[in-house]
Amino acid sequence: MSSLVGFLSLVFAIGINFYLFLSRYIFKFQKQKFNLFIRFSSLLTLLSFFSLMYAYVVSDFSNYNVFQNSHSNKPLIYKISGTWGNHEGSMLLWLSILSIFSFFFSFTKNIDESFQRLTLIIQSLLHILFGLFIVFTSNPFLVNSILINEGLGLNPILQDPGLAVHPPILYGGYVGYSIVFSIAIAGLFQNTDDEWLYVAKKWSLISWTFLTGGIALGSYWAYYELGWGGWWFWDPVENISLMPWIAGLALVHSLMMVRGEQAIKKWIVFLSILCFSLSVFGTFLVRSGILTSVHSFAADASRGIFILLIFFIVTGFGFLVFLLKEPKKSNALNLLFINKVSALVINNILMIIATLTILLGTIYPIIIEVLYNKRISVGGPYFNATVIPIMIPGFLLMSIAPILSWQTNKIQNSKKYVLGFIILSILVLIQSYFLDFNTWGFVGLLLGFWIILASIIAIFSSYKVKFTIKFVKIINPHIAHIGVGIAIIGITCSSVFQNELDFNLSEGDKFIVNGKTVLFEEIETTNQINFQALRGKFLFNIEKNQSKQIEAGKNYYPVSKMITSEAGILHQWNKDIYFILGDQKDNEWFVKVLINPFVSFIWLGVIIMMYSGLIAVSRR
Amino acid sequence: MSRIFILTPLIVLLIICIFSLTYLLSGKDPNKPPSALLNKDVPIFESSSLYNLKDVIKTKDIKNKKTLINFFASWCSPCKIEHPLFFEIRKKHPELYLLGFNHKDPTADAKKYLENDGNPYHFVGVDSDGLIALEFGVFGLPETYLINEDGKIIFKFMGPITKDILKNEIEPLL
Repeated sequence: MSSLVGFLSLVFAIGINFYLFLSRYIFKFQKQKFNLFIRFSSLLTLLSFFSLMYAYVVSDFSNYNVFQNSHSNKPLIYKISGTWGNHEGSMLLWLSILSIFSFFFSFTKNIDESFQRLTLIIQSLLHILFGLFIVFTSNPFLVNSILINEGLGLNPILQDPGLAVHPPILYGGYVGYSIVFSIAIAGLFQNTDDEWLYVAKKWSLISWTFLTGGIALGSYWAYYELGWGGWWFWDPVENISLMPWIAGLALVHSLMMVRGEQAIKKWIVFLSILCFSLSVFGTFLVRSGILTSVHSFAADASRGIFILLIFFIVTGFGFLVFLLKEPKKSNALNLLFINKVSALVINNILMIIATLTILLGTIYPIIIEVLYNKRISVGGPYFNATVIPIMIPGFLLMSIAPILSWQTNKIQNSKKYVLGFIILSILVLIQSYFLDFNTWGFVGLLLGFWIILASIIAIFSSYKVKFTIKFVKIINPHIAHIGVGIAIIGITCSSVFQNELDFNLSEGDKFIVNGKTVLFEEIETTNQINFQALRGKFLFNIEKNQSKQIEAGKNYYPVSKMITSEAGILHQWNKDIYFILGDQKDNEWFVKVLINPFVSFIWLGVIIMMYSGLIAVSRR
Repeated sequence: MSRIFILTPLIVLLIICIFSLTYLLSGKDPNKPPSALLNKDVPIFESSSLYNLKDVIKTKDIKNKKTLINFFASWCSPCKIEHPLFFEIRKKHPELYLLGFNHKDPTADAKKYLENDGNPYHFVGVDSDGLIALEFGVFGLPETYLINEDGKIIFKFMGPITKDILKNEIEPLL
């Protein structure tokens, strides 16, 4: 029954959007009525999504999708997250988020009525395309042909609280760019005033913040669930999310220039189209199964071709409109040797080069395989060697960019910055002399600390410190950059200065990690609701009273016959001690211990960036 | 000039779409990479027997007979799954030469494994440092290669072989 409700409301919502699309040419609407229809179609799409969720929650195995991806003894949270833990459901989630964005956009005040309507019509077009994709190739409401009272289970690796919320947040970013795309296209068609730039800024900040959160959750999950001790692997699916993120960053910064009335409209429109195109392209690469990665989804050629077609239509349409209706009026840029405009332009160029470099590395294997029938893989070494050097000048520039002037070459308090930089360089040099010297470690630490220091100098020397909301908003760009600096320190330390220790241990053995004695207490197996757990119990720092227990092991999921590894992590503010339990051999267990310094700084930096994104949304 | 700049994204889009479409339509399976060695000569190798170091097998020893080469190890659990199939192959095709390469394994472990699960191979070569596997382009264990009488690789499979693969892909080549 819920499947029927879900399917009908999905189809009905597509129908309404079709009607709205035609309304531009055939049926004329009043504004009020038009917006009501948009909201109604959004609610129908959500109804469809919640019907599927209901089917999951009550374990309605007459629905084929539920039967394939759920099991009655799964905990409730994973029944709910199972809704989007599969291809069909996640596409419905995609469509629902698109609807939510349209829904909220229809409430935007203070913008031109016909402009708002045009934006929503473009959203309707996107809704139709993705809606038809779901109905024809990925219908989650198919009825199971046999009567059955148990399901096949959700992929155990997805049964994790972090991963349960990762897709909706990530999609908030991907799909959020759809509204930025629609706004930009509508702006091209109407070509009126620049009011739409302010609207675009708000929505691109929202999308970017969601995307940041989604990516961070994904890499945090990879960190503790995959059990490899790292948090970023340059996996194709990670690259796919990184491309719109960097392009979105360039977009957000370009939109800042609107304040200095230096907006390069052409460039902003280009970036808006690019961000959404990259999102759709990412969806294509992932959903067609064309790339192999940890996110291996079922591959299906017909789906791949359908999304490729959507990608082609959306991107082609976007860039074609851009070609034909190119914005004419453009302010001359006030480019000086070093002012805000030139810094932003240079940063934009660097970010686009970085995006294209990642794009090339990601699609290169496809091109080579088509041309030469050879399988190659492009991995970490390529991306580390290309993307990081491209980003470094950008990071350097970013440390002082917020305090540069719009009009002149002068930098206020420049002496303070020079002095700060020199002192900092010496300190970092001394630090690296006493610890192991490593070029990347040196560069990363210097950059990270420099960005933080320059931002702090800027805050204290350029503004009067007041504890008001207005002040918080004024210093927001600096806060965002401090977040980046903290994240850079975390990234540098945890990748360059990571330490690995290997042990072969029997129960009761003691060993030394980081100067502290650790006791390998015992191996314990327990039966949980839907899996069997094998845990090695370790007692860290046994000499002192404040010893901590760490559990590392594996889970065995009998329904899907899969084993997942569960790393045991002891979080300290300045390092993570990361335990991985390996295989058993002659009563001895292989135990790997990784010491990851300052990993927590990465997550802290990301949280600060997201906070800044949210503050910036509220700032006009 | 600026027109060219604006046209670039469309051109890039077209190139990406053409390549992706070709890829999708060619029916390639991301889990089955094409082997650079397919239809090429078998790599030159030399390996001593697991049981007798003086007993050596070389590339020229497998000339003029069809050979099935299987890379395995005692630590590799998927290898255990396909293992019984090799007895079946040996029984059904006595003319086929079965050559096993024991990959990065302590000798004692390998011997114990073949004692417990049986030894279907005519010859078990030692590849303790993995150099032979490197020559063959082995991705991960197990991997199986079929070599024809002319010493050319005519079939390659990654992962444990199954009854279906044996019936549909290997046996037609024998």
